[in-house]
Amino acid sequence: MGNFLSLFIGSLLASVFVAGLPLAAAQTQQTAFDLDGRAVDPLAQGTNRIVVLMFLRSDCPISSRYAPVIQQISARYQHDTSFFLVYPDKNQSPQSIRNYLAEYGYALPALRDPEHVLVKQAHAEITPEAAVFDLERKLVYHGRIDNWYVEFGSSRPAPTTHELSDAIQAAMKGKPVAKNAVKGVGCYISDLD
Amino acid sequence: MLHLGPGLNDARKRVLAWIVELVLGGCVLGTAFAERPPHRTNEANAGKSKAAESNVTFNRDIAPIIFTSCASCHRPGEAAPFSLLTYEDVKRHARQIAEVTRTRNMPPWLPEPQELKFADEMRLSETQIDLIQKWMDQGAAEGDLADRPAQPKFTEGWRLGTPDLVLKAEQPLILPPEGTDTYWNFVFSLPIEKTRWVRAVEIRPGDKRYVHHANILVDREEQSRRREAAPGAGFGGMEIRLESQVFDPDSHLLFWKPGTVPYIEPEGMELRLDKGTDLVLNTHLQPSGKTEVIQPSIGLYFASHPATKVPMLLQLENDAKLDIPAGQNDFLLTDHFTLPVDVDLLAIYPHAHYLGKDIQAFAVLPDGTRKTLIHIPRWNLNWQAVYRYAQPVLLPQGTTVSLRYVYDNSEENPLNPNHPPARVKSGNRSSDEMCHLWLQVLPVNFDPTQGDPRMLLQEALALHNLEKNPADFEAHYNLAAMLQAKGRLDRAIEQYEAALRLRPNDAVANNAMASALLAVGRPDEAAPYLETALKARPDYFDAHYNLGNALASKSDFEGASKQFLLALEARPSDANAEASLGSALAEMGKFAEAKSHFEHALQIDPGNTLAKENLTELQREMNQR
Repeated sequence: MGNFLSLFIGSLLASVFVAGLPLAAAQTQQTAFDLDGRAVDPLAQGTNRIVVLMFLRSDCPISSRYAPVIQQISARYQHDTSFFLVYPDKNQSPQSIRNYLAEYGYALPALRDPEHVLVKQAHAEITPEAAVFDLERKLVYHGRIDNWYVEFGSSRPAPTTHELSDAIQAAMKGKPVAKNAVKGVGCYISDLD
Repeated sequence: MLHLGPGLNDARKRVLAWIVELVLGGCVLGTAFAERPPHRTNEANAGKSKAAESNVTFNRDIAPIIFTSCASCHRPGEAAPFSLLTYEDVKRHARQIAEVTRTRNMPPWLPEPQELKFADEMRLSETQIDLIQKWMDQGAAEGDLADRPAQPKFTEGWRLGTPDLVLKAEQPLILPPEGTDTYWNFVFSLPIEKTRWVRAVEIRPGDKRYVHHANILVDREEQSRRREAAPGAGFGGMEIRLESQVFDPDSHLLFWKPGTVPYIEPEGMELRLDKGTDLVLNTHLQPSGKTEVIQPSIGLYFASHPATKVPMLLQLENDAKLDIPAGQNDFLLTDHFTLPVDVDLLAIYPHAHYLGKDIQAFAVLPDGTRKTLIHIPRWNLNWQAVYRYAQPVLLPQGTTVSLRYVYDNSEENPLNPNHPPARVKSGNRSSDEMCHLWLQVLPVNFDPTQGDPRMLLQEALALHNLEKNPADFEAHYNLAAMLQAKGRLDRAIEQYEAALRLRPNDAVANNAMASALLAVGRPDEAAPYLETALKARPDYFDAHYNLGNALASKSDFEGASKQFLLALEARPSDANAEASLGSALAEMGKFAEAKSHFEHALQIDPGNTLAKENLTELQREMNQR
């Protein structure tokens, strides 16, 4: 049922676009999409798992360098979390995202967020940044994965703090997260507006 | 009777220079703007702008800055991770650009402005930085198309045209997706049959996005090949050190970093490459998040004439005092060297690792004038570079050149390799520290009849290093070599002895000591040193050759011929060794064999005097019988 509905919305958007009307006309129908164009709300999944959204830009080198780290964290918590890679660039095609996933060896589900629906829900500003939603779908942490990068052009030999892992563990235990927002170092999502 | 000719009594004077070694380092990010301005200057553009009165636009105000200072790296195939060639490209990174220019992380240019200008400076002006900031704040407008400057044109492929010789790494390096930075050395053997002079070298380090730096070292002694597990395999290591056994100090800084434009050596300062020379490309690579294949190549551009001016690299350093307590954020090291001759300073290359904080070098001239040679207040190994002066800087004899490096080994230094901080000493690993400064200098205003001014520099430097550190093996060795070259053999022998007390089994020092003893006619004393050298390095051509000479001078021709044969095994087509072998065989009465070795020597080198003279002598002798 949900799938039929989203397919319908998807085609409606397409026809609006073809008709040359501004996209804003469809804003009430905002959603993120999977790579087949189906509307997906990662936060509407069953409530037995924590949801982690990972915001990425394929033209952001810091985003890319984190690929192995993101895969390790998602594997470590695979029984308790649902990880989604979120691409906020409206101009990036599903195929180019698929190519990128293959290149970096990702097996995680990827979403396009052209209207920045998830970006807003997660208060994401930078790629790479993560957002952790607890079982009640409350945003308990958003921001950097760890403190590997200090600023552009400057990274530690290894991170000494691990904000994302800490947040996931706290959410798993139902405990409050110590730091619920730490800005990341990377590429600004607002530059894509 | 046959005479043994110059070869047999003239031990190979393996002179000098341990010098050389270059370096690499660094890490982090892959973003890189910059390069040489194509047409207009930054300041001119900033000045033309009417941005103060109206809205800042891309086409009128920002494009000239980006095209001049960013696009040469931010374009396909170059080091930067994304292109900055169109309004759309720049708009997609507007806030990021505003931030990295404001913090001066981009374009990557570390030195503060100073009186002595560098060539190809990549520093943005305050006006330009403000303009970018304003543009971003005002919404990053595109503006009027009519204002847009033409897109910059870049040369594709080899920047200087098709090279005369292209060398490609035999085997690529497979760079893993993650982990710490990798330091890898690719060895290129030169397919040249005669000495060539090189006016420019273009380094294509493979995928430029993942190579942070690359340095070429000239290996005239086949030392690097010996470190490879298999021929062409390359080898790991951040700082490599090559010995040079003839007085041929390295004098060129062959360096690549993102944005580097191939450097054409000044007329007359071409780099000499001989048959048998290897080039070693020392690279610093950074994992990208996926597996990368790195296969560099090097393009050589030959000159039609030999060099007439030979510069030299002077190294100031203070590694012996490098012992930084954990937690100290202001550890200071200095070194001061007074020049014994007038020099033109051409380029400067400071080097420290991740604890380096404030890096300075300055010169105090004999008249008391103080000149800043370089000041990097925020050192970053990732963007280390060779800096060439826009004009040669004359430093007269008596000038004191100083380095002043401050290190931060506290927790506040995010690049600190140790967490929590630990005591750090000097060393070659990236987690060790270094305190080095290279100056490329060209001796000027000297009297050529008074000998090579580079030798005076080398000797002064060795004495200076011994003052700092009496246990400096290389300084003893270099001083000995200089004394030997000047004919001060007794003093040379003393210095070799001092070097050997520090490293008793060092092959090169043992061989050098023996060559000095042979030169003063003490072959009996020379032989044990050569045996030690050969124990350390059984395929050491020079030691076999010199031992052959030592034995021959004691009339042990059988022993000598064995050594010459072993020498030829180590270096199969050496004309002198062939001629010497012929001479020893002739002494043993083995005329036919001797003749064939003389002939072989002459095939290799038709001008070989020893072979020529002895062959004539041999034929006369054979005719008499």
